[in-house]
Amino acid sequence: MRKLLASIKKEALILLHDKVGLLLMYLMPILLVFIITIVQNSAFKLVSDNTIDILVVNHDKGTLGDSLTKLLEQSGNFIVEKENGLKIEKLKKETIDRKKLIAIYIPEGFSDQLLSKAGHVSNLMLSEFGVADKKANKAKNLSKNHLVIYYDPVIQENFRVSLTNSLNTLLAGLENENMIRQLFSDMGYEEIPSEVKKEFSGNQSQILSFPASSGKESPIPNSTQHNVPAWSLFAMFFMVISLGGNLVKERLSGSFIRLQTIPSAFFLVICSKIAVYLFVALSQLAILFSLGVFVFPSIGLPQLNFPPNFLPVIVVSVLSAFAAISYALLVGTYAKTQEQANGFGAISIIIFAAIGGIWVPSFIMPGYLQTIGMLSPLHWCIDGFYTLFLKNGAWSELYSTIIYLLLFTFICQLLTFIKLRLQNYI
Amino acid sequence: MQETIIEINQLTKQFRNADRPSLDAIDLTILNGEKFGVFGPNGAGKTTLISILCSILEPTSGDVVYTLNGKQESINNILTTVGFVPQEYAFYPELTPIQNLSYFGALYSIPKKELSQKIKQLLITLGLDHVGDKKVSTFSGGMKRRINLAIGLINNPRILFLDEPTVGVDVQSKVAIISLLEELNKNGTTIIYTSHHLKEAEDFCDRIALLENGKIIALDKLENLILANNVSNLEDLLIKLTGKKLRD
Repeated sequence: MRKLLASIKKEALILLHDKVGLLLMYLMPILLVFIITIVQNSAFKLVSDNTIDILVVNHDKGTLGDSLTKLLEQSGNFIVEKENGLKIEKLKKETIDRKKLIAIYIPEGFSDQLLSKAGHVSNLMLSEFGVADKKANKAKNLSKNHLVIYYDPVIQENFRVSLTNSLNTLLAGLENENMIRQLFSDMGYEEIPSEVKKEFSGNQSQILSFPASSGKESPIPNSTQHNVPAWSLFAMFFMVISLGGNLVKERLSGSFIRLQTIPSAFFLVICSKIAVYLFVALSQLAILFSLGVFVFPSIGLPQLNFPPNFLPVIVVSVLSAFAAISYALLVGTYAKTQEQANGFGAISIIIFAAIGGIWVPSFIMPGYLQTIGMLSPLHWCIDGFYTLFLKNGAWSELYSTIIYLLLFTFICQLLTFIKLRLQNYI
Repeated sequence: MQETIIEINQLTKQFRNADRPSLDAIDLTILNGEKFGVFGPNGAGKTTLISILCSILEPTSGDVVYTLNGKQESINNILTTVGFVPQEYAFYPELTPIQNLSYFGALYSIPKKELSQKIKQLLITLGLDHVGDKKVSTFSGGMKRRINLAIGLINNPRILFLDEPTVGVDVQSKVAIISLLEELNKNGTTIIYTSHHLKEAEDFCDRIALLENGKIIALDKLENLILANNVSNLEDLLIKLTGKKLRD
């Protein structure tokens, strides 16, 4: 035991001496988690909370162009700048020059087309009810009367789709209102009865959405719940640079030759590295989770909500740490130089993270990549944490995570042992 | 008559992909309390021999028998009584001399109190007591060489292997190291030593073995070898027996 404690003390002293390594292992993950969470939180707010600058060019000769503009202003999602004198040819350039994320061109015959469509639908409905004759003419469909949208190419596809959907919703409302107005007009009413108008505009069906959950309580998914566990794991696996490099350095140094002349010394070296880096990995998680719980709310980020059952979190954390350490030892044992360990280690972790679903969820990847992603230890680590942090999952839902991480750790340790044994190191 | 402490029988080491064995059926006996020198040109097999004797390498064939207190042992059973000072700096430069010595001492299971006294004594003897708590990475070459030796002596070895213990050090450090080795030998430590400082070796070794292409080509007391080969010193003897051709 004294030998092991002496080895642990030696490893800890060497680690404390490595200021750059410590910065990489503690400060970088903090920055990473902070920055990614802030960025994703801002992106979420941009879509849901923030108002977006929009340029509206209304060439419509009727009233519906103005109505649409008014709806845009009233929606609260847009800050509307009107520039009706602008020609469509210049709008493309003006969108960029005026730093607008989106610009809408309302064509000259916009009202005409909407009213024509409303009249046609109204006539069809009344003729179906048998209260009017079916007219032969169809709704006007002139492509030059379509709304045109220009968007800043910098905005991402999903954000653009989200904006287009918002506009479509407003447009659909406008179309429906005109259709009903036309229907009442064709039936001889001068205006839509106020009671109908009130019900129509104020009684829109609501959609209530809730996160699916295995447990009784359902944590609200937010950028913190997603990012803190994910990027903490990514940072933890990045210890391959420090631990893998450290092992190669020790193997190539003179001290290693001396250790080979001392009974079971190298076995102790491996055990002490596991102990010290287990502490490092768990302390990384503890720090990052604490930041999520205590610091994030004070800077306007959502708070990290811990699952009610704490024990599974500890189990998944410890198994993830063992998987990360075992992988780092494997890389450090097979690499011939420190550069090899650092280069291969870093790139392999980035690949593991990418296919494992740390950056983007696995379910949006092609099927074959999802299958390959199952080989990534990070996939199972994040699966375990998401089961706990996002779904309030039970022990039974963690079985596959636990089994895979144990298997991964065992294989890495076995391959490490075989290599060291073949080289007569242990 | 001195008793045998190491008996080497038909020791052979063939590395994979090498065109000839590094050690080729060597027979050698080293006596208890001896200062034994192993010399030869680069690639002769000196380091391979010492590595096998210290259990760093496994031989391809042959065996090595150690006799301690009248009992025959394999190397793995007596490792705690063996000291090794490799040519490379074999310590952790991020740590202080006291931290390095404490770590290696603990690996040998030396009791804490005894270890503390031993560290103090070694640091004083090797002139490192004033820098005991400074990081070794800040030391000069001579100081690093002395701490390298100190770690090899932490377990009071009965058998001490030294591979170029004085390479790259100043005269003062060299004198300190050699005088410490002489003192250890007087107290019963058997020393097996290699060096390219042939003048130093002439004064230090009781017997020498000359290695060439993995074989022992000469083995005796230096004065006997000088007489038999009609040369004036170890350097001339080496040139005469191994030639002037440059080695890889």
